[in-house]
Amino acid sequence: MTARTIAVVTAGLSQPSSTRLLADRLADATRTALGPDTVVEVIELRDTAVDVTNNLLTGFPSPKLKEVIDTVTHADGLIAVTPVFTASYSGMFKSFFDVLDKEALDGKPVLIAATGGTERHSLVLDFALRPLFAYLRAIPVATGVYAASSDWGSASATGTLQRRVERAAGELAAAVSVAPEAKASDELTSLPFEQLLAGEGF
Amino acid sequence: MQFGIFSVGDVTTDPANGTTPSEHERIKAMARIALKAEEVGLDVFATGEHHNPPFVPSSPTTMLGYIAAQTKTITLSTSTTLITTSDPVKIAEDFAMLQHLADGRVDLMLGRGNTGPVYPWFGQDIRQGIPLTIENYALLRRLWREEVVDWEGKFRTPLQGFTATPRPLDDVPPFVWHGSIRSPEIAELAAYYGDGFFANHIFWPTSHYQQLIGFYRQRYEHYGHGKADQAIVGLGGQAFIRPKSQDAWNEFRPYFDNAPVYGHGPSMEDFTSQTPLTVGSPQEVIDKTLTFREHFGDYQRQLFLMDHAGLPLKTVLEQLDLLGEQVVPVLRKELESMRPAHVPDAPTHESLKAARDAEETAEETTEETRV
Repeated sequence: MTARTIAVVTAGLSQPSSTRLLADRLADATRTALGPDTVVEVIELRDTAVDVTNNLLTGFPSPKLKEVIDTVTHADGLIAVTPVFTASYSGMFKSFFDVLDKEALDGKPVLIAATGGTERHSLVLDFALRPLFAYLRAIPVATGVYAASSDWGSASATGTLQRRVERAAGELAAAVSVAPEAKASDELTSLPFEQLLAGEGF
Repeated sequence: MQFGIFSVGDVTTDPANGTTPSEHERIKAMARIALKAEEVGLDVFATGEHHNPPFVPSSPTTMLGYIAAQTKTITLSTSTTLITTSDPVKIAEDFAMLQHLADGRVDLMLGRGNTGPVYPWFGQDIRQGIPLTIENYALLRRLWREEVVDWEGKFRTPLQGFTATPRPLDDVPPFVWHGSIRSPEIAELAAYYGDGFFANHIFWPTSHYQQLIGFYRQRYEHYGHGKADQAIVGLGGQAFIRPKSQDAWNEFRPYFDNAPVYGHGPSMEDFTSQTPLTVGSPQEVIDKTLTFREHFGDYQRQLFLMDHAGLPLKTVLEQLDLLGEQVVPVLRKELESMRPAHVPDAPTHESLKAARDAEETAEETTEETRV
């Protein structure tokens, strides 16, 4: 089996960002679970924020954004991490997934994760991120990881977070190892015209 | 190689002076622009079809008929005629009528239209866009080619013993281009019938249209109409030209920045580097347009969008002078010299008629030989 590629999409806004910090931990744990030759590609959405907005307005990605979209589309697995904004994922996070082709994540294992100020927002994983990826026909793994400010604080709390990270990463690794290898899907395909004429395929 | 312009027919406020033309002014301006296109030696004028503001051209054959009466040589076309929401019976008759009045200087480009609400206004559903295109076009072809049509389909009331009138001029239906921005099904349809394929080539990057055109060429060959490089390809393009590059950039920028299709997104610098848009001197427009051939192969028709985004009529007419006098003659010469002999020209009424006559003669000869 060739080395697996994991794309990490992180929507943190500040630098350094706790969202990125969580993303890196998830990526490291996934690499540990999958093996050292795993390729990890980290995408900071803040670097493509303007390109994403432009894509929403023009309908096509800039060359830079195209590269990012291809990375995500062709990865074997995805780690998606967003800060919680106004009771949900951030607008920048959603906008990025809005410009992907609607089939780009078909069948792709995804580890969902979020960061926020308090534990009270932790269900955002299940009422916001999980439905989004279910809609895109991705396969969110069972464990999502939510990190509140307090998780970064005490030794015992960090221990708890790390256990969640490792469990989720293990689930992602397991899903990626059994998933078929991701393939480039941008080739044009069409039905033979006789079938189109007969109204088949609609 | 044919060169021309295609208009969207938008009524847009001129950002440089805040004035908005009336519908009447804009419609008259479009006609003036078409006449100018012939004066400066272009081959094609094409108008869009829209049924919602801010666009005015809801009735292309009326407009083209008016222009036909005042022109001699230019081919009158559309960009596009809505095959989804217009009745194919009416399209067949409108364009046959126009063909007669224009002495054959007519072809058309079919498209689906892009605004959801327009479909229900005409009793249709945008989700059926492609099936509507396929069924309506199949009927349109029959109406032009068969004297009496019995027909039944999904989207329209059946026809029994129906004859579309007038019959196409010389019994040669107008040549059809299929316009497309994104759908491979439309490339497939164009290839199946051996019709022309026109890639909008305005909004999106080259790589996208390379895929679509490559696919059309490959399917054209598959369906036995000729070699892939003999398929009939048209391309859009957009330019703003001034004798000096910097003047073009300065003058066009407010129009670009506020244009409904471009504005408030990528910078003009980004957009010109990522799409076919050229802002600059005649030489720069020539250079960039020549790259189209490198990307897409030898093609038959190049249409430029010159009159949108609130550009005043005076500016558009100046653009056409520069296009007709300084850009197109060079492009014509360059592209013709590079084109291999086996790659055909875009069909015209005359060439289609000649091809039809040649075929009939050949058939007669075969029959005589057999006897």
